[in-house]
Amino acid sequence: MAETEKIEVRDITRIERIGAHSHIRGLGLDDVLEARAVSQGMVGQKDARRAAGVVVQMVREGKIAGRCILLAGEPSTGKTAIAVGMAQALGTETPFTSMSGSEIYSLEMSKTEALSQALRKSIGVRIKEETEIIEGEVVEIQIERPATGTGQKVGKVTLKTTEMETNYDLGNKIIECFMKEKIQAGDVITIDKASGKVNKLGRSFTRARDYDATGAQTRFVQCPEGELQKRKEVVHTVTLHEIDVINSRTHGFLALFSGDTGEIKQEVREQINNKVLEWREEGKAEINPGVLFIDEVHMLDIECFSFLNRALESDMAPVVVMATNRGITRIRGTNYRSPHGIPIDLLDRMIIIRTVPYTEKEVKEILKIRCEEEDCIMHPDALTILTRIATDTSLRYAIQLITTANLVCRRRKATEVNTEDVKKVYSLFLDENRSSKILKEYQDDYMFSEITENEEDGTAAAAACGAKRRVETGDGDAQPMDH
Amino acid sequence: MSYQNWLNYLQSAEKNSMISGRLRKVLYKFPDGRQMAEEYNMDTGVVQRRAWRKCKQLMGEPQWEIELGEEPRQLNWSAANKTNAAAGGGGDADTLSAGEFTLRESNSAPLLTKRVTKKNIEWRIRNLSYPLSVYNVSADAEKRAIIVRTSNKKYFKVIPVPDLDRCSVPPLQANISTHHQFNTLIITYTKPDILCEMEAQVLLLLKNVETETDMDDLLKGLMAK
Repeated sequence: MAETEKIEVRDITRIERIGAHSHIRGLGLDDVLEARAVSQGMVGQKDARRAAGVVVQMVREGKIAGRCILLAGEPSTGKTAIAVGMAQALGTETPFTSMSGSEIYSLEMSKTEALSQALRKSIGVRIKEETEIIEGEVVEIQIERPATGTGQKVGKVTLKTTEMETNYDLGNKIIECFMKEKIQAGDVITIDKASGKVNKLGRSFTRARDYDATGAQTRFVQCPEGELQKRKEVVHTVTLHEIDVINSRTHGFLALFSGDTGEIKQEVREQINNKVLEWREEGKAEINPGVLFIDEVHMLDIECFSFLNRALESDMAPVVVMATNRGITRIRGTNYRSPHGIPIDLLDRMIIIRTVPYTEKEVKEILKIRCEEEDCIMHPDALTILTRIATDTSLRYAIQLITTANLVCRRRKATEVNTEDVKKVYSLFLDENRSSKILKEYQDDYMFSEITENEEDGTAAAAACGAKRRVETGDGDAQPMDH
Repeated sequence: MSYQNWLNYLQSAEKNSMISGRLRKVLYKFPDGRQMAEEYNMDTGVVQRRAWRKCKQLMGEPQWEIELGEEPRQLNWSAANKTNAAAGGGGDADTLSAGEFTLRESNSAPLLTKRVTKKNIEWRIRNLSYPLSVYNVSADAEKRAIIVRTSNKKYFKVIPVPDLDRCSVPPLQANISTHHQFNTLIITYTKPDILCEMEAQVLLLLKNVETETDMDDLLKGLMAK
């Protein structure tokens, strides 16, 4: 076993990074779908959350296909947060695909293909199968390899439960599995008889005192009872997209791992739809429709919208949730203006949930939650100042200040962030308002300032939209027309 | 305490029958997709082998599961190995076959077989070398099974008794007797009357199934017994 010891890797404690929405654990609703004021990381936005709760209920029942929900509201009013909350509330069993509107633009794949893949990723299929598994504690394991180093390995393993003991001969393939999982005497394992998959459940309690040094990850389990061989019903959950990829003849299942799926033929999809319906009738499979969430939906263009119109009519379509922060703006790929940048015919198929700006009290709650999430202890006065900053500038900027203020505070070897720390980072880092003010003041000193004079019309129009919106609408107008 | 359900179930099946040697083989195809094959001894009218095939699973071919009679274990191995060797590009079967299984019980592992005689149901567990005092064979009415335990914790088995289930009688401790000889534990269960009655009814049912040979006189002798 010398060579396997060499490549042994130490257990690394998993590093969890804190993302923008990692504090959200659900929608914060009670049993009757009423929104609690502060719960599961969600604050305020009661009407929107209640509406989202109804949508979650609709998805859970799984009867309705191809509904479309639009989350509309100003920037940083918690649209994505509500979507993340919905995903959490639905649980890991229900597929929830999250994508951004701009993800569909790829040179390798057409826009509609990317969209239909995303739609099919959001439909899960639960496949039930009965398999025979062997579950027991390893009493003894012997693996003999020929002296030449290559050739057939011979393996024997003795497994036991509280009641019985049996010897098994091991095939070549399963020996590899045993070596990979580093199975040794005292481990409790399961073996799937059909696939030969070996799974280590933990170490037996009776062996708990064999070693004085066991890793923190070592789990101790009871020795299984009864017979070694058991019949168990296992449930695999796969998405329609995964079945598509495995069955698209040109690539095979390897494409699933390389990610290079390419375009999947429509015929393949139809065949799979029929097959899945057949399985469902026979009771072998259950369809588990999920949610497709498209953020920044105004980035989709007119072709995508008309494709969605049709795709949503299929009875295999998931519930689609979209989010946008645009008001009346140009539909990408046309010269027409429309509410939210979405054509009216698609808007007509949607139900719209509006998010409203947070009140000062709610902002304070959110900042408090974020402080907890980032393990930052903040003095109440500092929190008040931060709330003030958040209402004056933006919530995102204030959240950024939590991290930076915490670092400043640690530099002076204190544990609690006070007002001084917040003031310091406020002066160190500019928010968007102050930055643009400085830009306006010193515009002439920056490079290429003479060019902007030629395009004065454009900047003047943009300036009218207010400082906060300016950057974004600027983006929107600069969209290329060729898509 | 009735076997009517089972009879109805058999009745609903599409049945085929053939005779080979002194055996009558019957294949049942049930409307729920399951299949059952039986082999009757023509001399005694006792079923010698019975196997089930469940409806097709999603992955892999369905396997015959033997409920009763010898399992052709050795034959199965070589057959499985041959197919594997063929799949491996027609390589030399002898060299490939040795490592092509994933996992199997070693040759010395206890092996359970069941057989039915006129009066008894018998289970033989081969490769059990411990003396008779080690075993504890009990009838579990709740699990509808016979449970074999060993005091040295080397062997444990829950043996379901589908025959008794079919006429909905629980297994009774009083009907069990055990015997140990030649490394083999023999468990004998005396058939209750209702089970004998059911088997006679099934034979009557099979009488109507067409075969090349006439079953009448054979059955006449059996019913007279």
